[in-house]
Amino acid sequence: MRRTIICLTAIHAMFFATTVAAETVDNQPQTSDIAILAEKALLTDITAIGDQILVAVGERGHILRSQDAKNWVQATVPVQANLNSVYFVNKQQGWAVGHDASILATQDGGVSWQLQHFAPQVDKPLFDVYFFDSQHGIAVGAYGLFYRTTDSGKNWQKEFHPEVLSEDDQDYLQQLQESDEQMYETELGAILPHFNRLYADGNVLYMAGEAGFVAKSIDNGLSWLRLDEFYNGSLFDITRTTQMSLLTVGLRGHAFISDDQGMNWQQVALTESATFNSAFSDASGRQYLVGNAGVLLVSDKTGKTYTDYSQPDGKAIVNGLIWQGQLILVTKVGIKTINLSELN
Amino acid sequence: MSVNRLVNKFEYALFRHRTLVIIAFVAATIFLLMKATTIKLDAAFTKNIPLQHQYMQTYLRHAQDFGGANNILVSLCDQNGDIFNEGFFDTFRKAHDELLYTSGVNRVLVKSLFSPSTRFVEVVEDGFAGGPVIPADFVANAAGLAKVKENTEKAGIVGRMVADDYSCAMISAQLLDVDPETGKQIDTIGFANTLEQNVRGKYQSDTISVHIIGFAKMVGDVAEGAKGVLVFFAIAIAVTSIMVFFFCRSLMLTVLPIACSLIAVIWQMGLLSVMGFGIDPMSILVPFLVFAIGVSHGVQMINSTGKRVAAGMDAKTAAQASFRKLLVPGGVALLSDTVGFLTLLIIEIGVIRELAITASLGVAVIILTNLILLPVLMSFVRFSKSYKERASAPSPKIDKVWYGLSAFATRKYAAVILIITAALFAFGYMQSQQLKIGDLHAGAPALHENSRYNQDTFLITDRYAISVDYLNVMVETIPSACTEHSIMAKVDRFQWLMENVEGVQSTVSLASVSKSINAAFNEGNVKWRVLPRNTQSLVQASSRVETSTGLLNADCSVMPVILFLQDHKAQTIERVVAAAKKYGSELGDEQTQFMLASGPVGVMAATNEAVAEAQQPMMWYVYGAVIILCLLSFRSMRATISVILPLYVVSVLATALMTWLQIGLTVSTLPVIALGVGIGVDYGIYILSNMSQMLRDGTGARQAYYEALKERGSAVLFTGITLAIGVSTWVFSALKFQVDMGILLTFMFIVNMLGAIVVLPALAAFLWRKD
Repeated sequence: MRRTIICLTAIHAMFFATTVAAETVDNQPQTSDIAILAEKALLTDITAIGDQILVAVGERGHILRSQDAKNWVQATVPVQANLNSVYFVNKQQGWAVGHDASILATQDGGVSWQLQHFAPQVDKPLFDVYFFDSQHGIAVGAYGLFYRTTDSGKNWQKEFHPEVLSEDDQDYLQQLQESDEQMYETELGAILPHFNRLYADGNVLYMAGEAGFVAKSIDNGLSWLRLDEFYNGSLFDITRTTQMSLLTVGLRGHAFISDDQGMNWQQVALTESATFNSAFSDASGRQYLVGNAGVLLVSDKTGKTYTDYSQPDGKAIVNGLIWQGQLILVTKVGIKTINLSELN
Repeated sequence: MSVNRLVNKFEYALFRHRTLVIIAFVAATIFLLMKATTIKLDAAFTKNIPLQHQYMQTYLRHAQDFGGANNILVSLCDQNGDIFNEGFFDTFRKAHDELLYTSGVNRVLVKSLFSPSTRFVEVVEDGFAGGPVIPADFVANAAGLAKVKENTEKAGIVGRMVADDYSCAMISAQLLDVDPETGKQIDTIGFANTLEQNVRGKYQSDTISVHIIGFAKMVGDVAEGAKGVLVFFAIAIAVTSIMVFFFCRSLMLTVLPIACSLIAVIWQMGLLSVMGFGIDPMSILVPFLVFAIGVSHGVQMINSTGKRVAAGMDAKTAAQASFRKLLVPGGVALLSDTVGFLTLLIIEIGVIRELAITASLGVAVIILTNLILLPVLMSFVRFSKSYKERASAPSPKIDKVWYGLSAFATRKYAAVILIITAALFAFGYMQSQQLKIGDLHAGAPALHENSRYNQDTFLITDRYAISVDYLNVMVETIPSACTEHSIMAKVDRFQWLMENVEGVQSTVSLASVSKSINAAFNEGNVKWRVLPRNTQSLVQASSRVETSTGLLNADCSVMPVILFLQDHKAQTIERVVAAAKKYGSELGDEQTQFMLASGPVGVMAATNEAVAEAQQPMMWYVYGAVIILCLLSFRSMRATISVILPLYVVSVLATALMTWLQIGLTVSTLPVIALGVGIGVDYGIYILSNMSQMLRDGTGARQAYYEALKERGSAVLFTGITLAIGVSTWVFSALKFQVDMGILLTFMFIVNMLGAIVVLPALAAFLWRKD
């Protein structure tokens, strides 16, 4: 099966090569439009800087900032690509990544943003970004897209991590490198799974991705060890619960728990069939699972049993956080705020 | 003086062969009556469109591929608030099939849960699956309905085909202009009746309510309401007859002008029928107006003849003298009306042109019936002795009133009057600048807010994310444009910018649908809601969309961006159109153009612009025509000014009234201004034609005005009040536009009359200085 996918993607790539040249104007970054509906349009990630400020990112280069989760101010952003993730390493420095391999950076707590990396010709989105300190960080995305910086993002170097591939695929690549240079180059851009989410658990870095992919690294992401496959569907988030288990969630209502650092996984019994996009917890130990079709599951303090608080509008919830007694969600239709007292 | 000679000759011939004249009139009336009975209410969608307008050119260019703006929405609502039950689905399917097989409906574009093109896609581990929302093996049991509900959510049609709260489901359809089976124009009103009987009639029940909106339904309801016009017509005839009787105190003199005016109406309808026109519901009041104008001129005629009989003439001589005296001023007044109405022809909207033809024809016919037939008939009347005595008795009280009024023609009072008039004009002018073009209220403006149709409109707008108030911006570009990222990105950005414009409720285009499909191809991950730069992926995302969705044509060289608006108020349309033009020109280039506009609101935008553009020239033409006719008949600049100036002040005040009453300038109110001028000029012409000879001979303005009042004052006052009472009954009409027209015309009749008896003499006092 992997072979057929490879062949198909090769054909993709050939088409791709012929069309890139025709789209030159389209390849320039354009400043995002300031729009009143930005806070009601697709938002994909949200983070809190300290206790005071929230920053959310979303489609069309939208970055919103708020001090009260009610009034949102849209930042002027030098790119219109959809943004998928935002991360602040301290109160001032943050990065946002998204489509067209865009990487944006801020030095002033999210008020103004500069474009550090923009590569539409790569034609792949970045899905997550993480910084170990204010200088060192990585950004990951579709088809194993992987960038690293050691200078706060002034320069981003591409990395390729074939170590996460199966032995078969690694052999195939090696053969190809010797026999067909061009095909080999093409495969490099397509053979890896999507890297959907990074999670730093102390000194261990976890990464969840396409088709049951979970890997971990103990050297800041320089080398990765793929965990044994326990599910063939895509995983979109991985986190540690307050009860110290690892939790990963993904396609069609699948969630798995591991109590032994990822050696063995047990599926969490849920009746939900929509895809989970993210998982996060609050201080009291309650676990929140959010996903497509308005799915919102909240666990009790033991993290074992879930109650269904799915939203009636059925709009995908992409991520969220707990902030000042409120559950703040980023959804397909923008910001949604739910008072925690309503979830009992 | 050749006009006089001509009039004399004509008079001689006419009264010499008066029996023959009457026979000819009777014959013509019988013929036209037969024709008139075959006349039909006739409303076609294209008649309401300014076809020459740039937007409509775009609309027509793409009507073949995308259907038009003539759509129908049928929403069935479950009274318990949840459509997922067996009874509802059973009824809903029947209603769907009913609409599908109704003739005149474009079958390809009938859409609902039950149409095969309504599909969903869902992501599964090894790709994605999809199918029709209602599966082939659908059984309306609990399991089947649960499946459909699930599919409905997956298909993303909540808000469009199913109400946001699942209380209703929608069937949408488009009407053809021409029936492919018969090759004839679709009978819009007939279609509306069919909807009412076969859809609402059959499927409305205690548990299910049916709501139907769309142009055809609106016209059907207007036509239904317009039938009430017969009642108003009857009331008007009754009121007018009683008034005329009190005015002349003679049964015969009452019957004659009323009969002649009715004959004018019969001729008008008959001639329309002969010419192959129907009568549009929007101009159904015109026959009524013709009747009113006819009576107004008829009263002048009986007044004049009666006064002469009272002075001792025999009926024939008196009728002949009145004919001679009134043919020119009456003819000029009626010609002014005719020309005034004809100016409406410059507006390139079918209904207004029909109104122009209908009205000008009717008024022209009055020249024959009330200026020729009426005096001829009068010459046969035997005036009773008691009538003569009563009529010839001196009326010192009334004369005293007239003498008092004649003070308006003295400098002292005139100055005050003119200052007040100037102040009113200034105030009115300022107000009139605020006049809004188009509809100022939500719902169908022709109908009342609490009408069934508008209630249905509000319900649908309320429960769904869409409405019939949508505007399509047609993106005209190169073939296979949907495989070009740069073009699709433009469409996408345009759509987003427009979605942010106030008044835009939601938007859809091939670009936005392709983004959803691309996300679906990527495991339903919303982070993939983008237009792929990779051509192959873009093709994959866009080629899933069929042309029947109305989002692209066969080679995707045309892609509409559909903007659903909150309402169709003039301001909303203006704002959205202005934004679409701005963003369209910013994003457009030689290859890709954002063209306005199709969809119902596109039509409204074009209509509003056509009306706005027509307003000024129409006023110029109507005043131009009236001025030329006044100059020709009075041969005096001063006389022309005296007649026109008050008229213009009233026009401006009427516009101010529209602003104040929040009546927008629309297809139905625009003609009122022209009609008002045409009718208003009558009073001035009758009064001044009587004064002008004396003024020329050197009589003082006050004396001349006093004589004119004695001769025609009562007739003018009477006419103004009678006409005003007649049209004021329209205020009770079931149709909102008739109410608006009623208010405006009542105002125009009364105030124009006041203008003629107050402002005109004041002007005369200054224009004719007694040497």
